[in-house]
Amino acid sequence: MSGLLNIIVVGLLLGGIYGLISMGLNLIFGVIRIVNFAHGELVMLGMYGAYMCYFLLGMDPYASLVIVVPAMFVFGVLIQRFVLQPLQGEPMMQIFATFGLLLIFQNAVLAITRGVGYTAPSALSSIVVDVGGIKISLVRLIALVAVSAAALFLSWFVKNTMLGKAVRAVTQDRRAARLMGIHVEWAFMLTFGAGAALAGLAGTLIAPIYTMSPQIGGNFILAAFAVVVLGGLGSVWGAYIGGFLIGVTEAVAGYYLDPSLKTAIWFAIFIGMLIVRPSGLFGVVGAEEIGLREQD
Amino acid sequence: MAVSAPRRAAEGITTFAAEALRIAAILVVLLALIWLYRRDPFTLNILAYTFLFASLASAWNIIGGFGGQFSLGHGVFFAIGAYVTANLYIHLGLSPWISLIPAAGLAAGAAVLVSWPTFRLKGPFFAIATMALNEVAFVLANYSDTLTGGPRGLSVPFKAGLANMIFASRLSYALLMLGFLAVCLLVCAYAYRSRLGYYLQAVQIDEDAARAAGIRVLRVKLTGMAMSAALTGIGGAIFAMYLRFVDPPTLLSLPDVGVKFALIALIGGVGMLYGPLAGALLIVPLEFQLRAGLGASVPGGNLLVLGVILVLCALFLKRGIVGTAVMLWDRARRRFW
Repeated sequence: MSGLLNIIVVGLLLGGIYGLISMGLNLIFGVIRIVNFAHGELVMLGMYGAYMCYFLLGMDPYASLVIVVPAMFVFGVLIQRFVLQPLQGEPMMQIFATFGLLLIFQNAVLAITRGVGYTAPSALSSIVVDVGGIKISLVRLIALVAVSAAALFLSWFVKNTMLGKAVRAVTQDRRAARLMGIHVEWAFMLTFGAGAALAGLAGTLIAPIYTMSPQIGGNFILAAFAVVVLGGLGSVWGAYIGGFLIGVTEAVAGYYLDPSLKTAIWFAIFIGMLIVRPSGLFGVVGAEEIGLREQD
Repeated sequence: MAVSAPRRAAEGITTFAAEALRIAAILVVLLALIWLYRRDPFTLNILAYTFLFASLASAWNIIGGFGGQFSLGHGVFFAIGAYVTANLYIHLGLSPWISLIPAAGLAAGAAVLVSWPTFRLKGPFFAIATMALNEVAFVLANYSDTLTGGPRGLSVPFKAGLANMIFASRLSYALLMLGFLAVCLLVCAYAYRSRLGYYLQAVQIDEDAARAAGIRVLRVKLTGMAMSAALTGIGGAIFAMYLRFVDPPTLLSLPDVGVKFALIALIGGVGMLYGPLAGALLIVPLEFQLRAGLGASVPGGNLLVLGVILVLCALFLKRGIVGTAVMLWDRARRRFW
């Protein structure tokens, strides 16, 4: 029994990380309808950002959040403005462009670091919390708390602020939103910036957990796509809960079946979900069709 | 999903026969290229890869371009062809020429089987689902030791001979790939200029309108996918005999295989008959040069340059090489004639 409980806790902690990464991806995918292949690389850049703050300024990864997250926001805005916005309405070209960005980020970091693996140690790295006999590493617990806080903030933001309402309006109908005086391009820039900032947050928080490599984004991106589809497009809570579902499935399948098959199992769930209910568990039915219509 | 193909003036439709003549002319030029470099194994290797990837991207273009179904999972069909051929050759000693049939058949069968449900998805959803499919195949290929040799891969023993599709000279391989390219271009031309091709293009432009016009959309998409996958399977088979070694990363890596087919087609001109060929002629040799020139001194430098090219192509060459050329030609003609 405690074995199963242990596995579930491991899965939940992993799910927190997946949820955090997926939330930014979901925001971008849900609002702008861009399949951002480079999202895992944005997480990777966040990790290296945390390392740079540690290496150059001696900052703890948690302190470097104040630099990394705003920097990633600006970076995201610039990507949207100069790469993706000119390709609006051409989904194939956008996929193509984000794939090019993926290659650029990965190999720029590889060229600079020459493939040496880094970690950004935190003062909290070695602390282990004991909850009812189950040992939980504090840094993973922080990631779990952070994803909950981010989900709360995000859902509050889109419901209650004018900016958030504008983003939701743009999601539902671009043309109508434009007619209501919403600056659609700005809403997209804000969204991509926020998505990149969330990726930066995720990267910084997992910097003390994983050894960095330029390719590390690949470990997260497909899991994050699975979470997005499972939870529902554009749904903040969908990404939150989807992250835990995928995390727990991976942990349970890895333990009871075969660790090398775990990915195949959640991909099966993912494809099944796409076919049975493309709008996801928490998405609005039909939402997946929006943005596939001709819009401008 | 409006990837609007440049519309040419309706001044007569090119028939398959006219298209076949053009293909023959192209093949003669490419043959001359091989002859020019017949004593240079390094260049012949590049040419062999170029022709192979031109063929594979052309095959992808049938469903991805003409049909507008942005598949990123063609690596699966490529891997099926490669593993089928390698296994039949290693264990049963079957000539690869004969195993081209099961390679193509199984790839097409698998394609129909997985596309049946996934064709319900549109646009980016289809792309993600096929990408996920590729990843499932990767995991399974790593896992099923008996069929694929797992992560260790399968090695095909070297026994030169025409019947074995194993040659000592690069020249023969370059010619083999050119032959495959000829087959692919002819099939593509047929698919482009036949009733099926027009159905596919109608589906690409507007699926609902196509359905309303009486086109059986699912059947058309499945037929296009099966043709595309069969050719991809044959490509995988030839690739396996060229490399004489197959393992999951060489067959199922997304950036090197599944996504690359699409990228080559996009750079050359998606949905255009000769687009993938133009893309491959540019990208594959460029990649080799970059890998040789930059890859050694700066780790990842070659891929970095490739990434920059991709982004620039997406931004400034939206219709691809062929599309842009056609557009410029039309403009010039209108101006001066």
